Amino acid sequence: MSNPLSRRNVLGRLGALAAGLAALPVVKTAKAAVQKVLVSSNAPKGYDPTKHKWVMAIDINQCIGCGSCVEACKKENKVPEGPYFRTWVERYVIEKPKPGSGEARGQTHVDSPNGGMRGYPELPVAKEDIQHSFFVPKLCNLCHHSPCVQVCPVGATFDAPDGAVLIDPKYCIGCGFCIQACPYGCRFLNPVTKVAEKCTLCYHRITRGLQPACVEVCPTQARIFGDLKNPIPNDPIQEFYAKHRVSALKAHLGTEPRVLYAGADREVQ
Amino acid sequence: MKLTKMPPQVVRLVLLTVGIVGSYMVAKFLLTPASFGQYGFYRGAALMEIASHPISLAGQKACAECHSDEVELLARFEHKTLSCEGCHGFGQAHVDNPDVKMEVLNYSHCVKCHEANPSRPKWHKQINPKEHYPGDKCTECHVPHAPSEVP
Repeated sequence: MSNPLSRRNVLGRLGALAAGLAALPVVKTAKAAVQKVLVSSNAPKGYDPTKHKWVMAIDINQCIGCGSCVEACKKENKVPEGPYFRTWVERYVIEKPKPGSGEARGQTHVDSPNGGMRGYPELPVAKEDIQHSFFVPKLCNLCHHSPCVQVCPVGATFDAPDGAVLIDPKYCIGCGFCIQACPYGCRFLNPVTKVAEKCTLCYHRITRGLQPACVEVCPTQARIFGDLKNPIPNDPIQEFYAKHRVSALKAHLGTEPRVLYAGADREVQ
Repeated sequence: MKLTKMPPQVVRLVLLTVGIVGSYMVAKFLLTPASFGQYGFYRGAALMEIASHPISLAGQKACAECHSDEVELLARFEHKTLSCEGCHGFGQAHVDNPDVKMEVLNYSHCVKCHEANPSRPKWHKQINPKEHYPGDKCTECHVPHAPSEVP
């Protein structure tokens, strides 16, 4: 019986180990090549996510609550039928305070039937009792410190370098932690694919130089989209920041959203 | 040899440790996606996979390539902020193959924006469709591409 630690055996095993290590880069290259083929040839060419920083801004004073954005988003992103929305429009109705109540504002009613896609039912209060009423478009707030990214147990959701918060559908296990974590209610579980889904800022469009579907169809430019790293002449997003006093939703949570609102009342924030 | 003089339990422990660490490294190498860590602690290839989703909304620029006269007319009047596809329906199928027709408009969608609603901002022109010429088509009086013109 030969000694397992004889020079011949040890050298032989070391040689096999070296051959194995040498084969690793080959395997890695082959794996990368296979993955490249698997990524559809549909993908946009020459897009570098580190060279952009996408943001959206919402002007509440401009929103007329037509629901075009909700409809376009559903169609463009093939969001399933039913109560599933990547963006939606809420109606706020703030009542006049009761006389002698000592309050500045009355009760607030918020509704968004069907995401605001098919109009709104009769007002919950008489017209003369309304102090203030308006529409608020909602979407992923593109948090700088995203609670959804922090809670994902498998690292399927992440902050892309270009500012979009995305979900890797191949790694999402559909546990729903992120849906509970999002303070803005922007996520849902897709009933067909069983993975979490959310606004991607129409990632397939912005990487090709187009605008997100909701921004494209908005008739009043209540939604403004831009790239902070590549400002264009008369950049609408820079004009928006210069013209309005902006605020973030639920700023006290420290999520630092990159979606900023103009004209957001106390009730919205 | 020195190694053979090591107590057998230590040798076994070393071999076991090497085996566990080695199999962990092999498993990590085989299971980690190739693009992991490209941008951060996630699969970098996911970005382009998400970006490869097909487009259905073509965008105003695509419309202007063939219908520049209509787009220019629209830009001169109050409806200049509207996108073509907001009213005419999604157009990528029509861009890819002009034989595919766009949606037929019956102008019932005008009220989607212009129906009176107290929640709408005051600057926005609104009508009550039950009082404002009920039953008549909007286009009998209004030109959608040039709303301030009356035929």
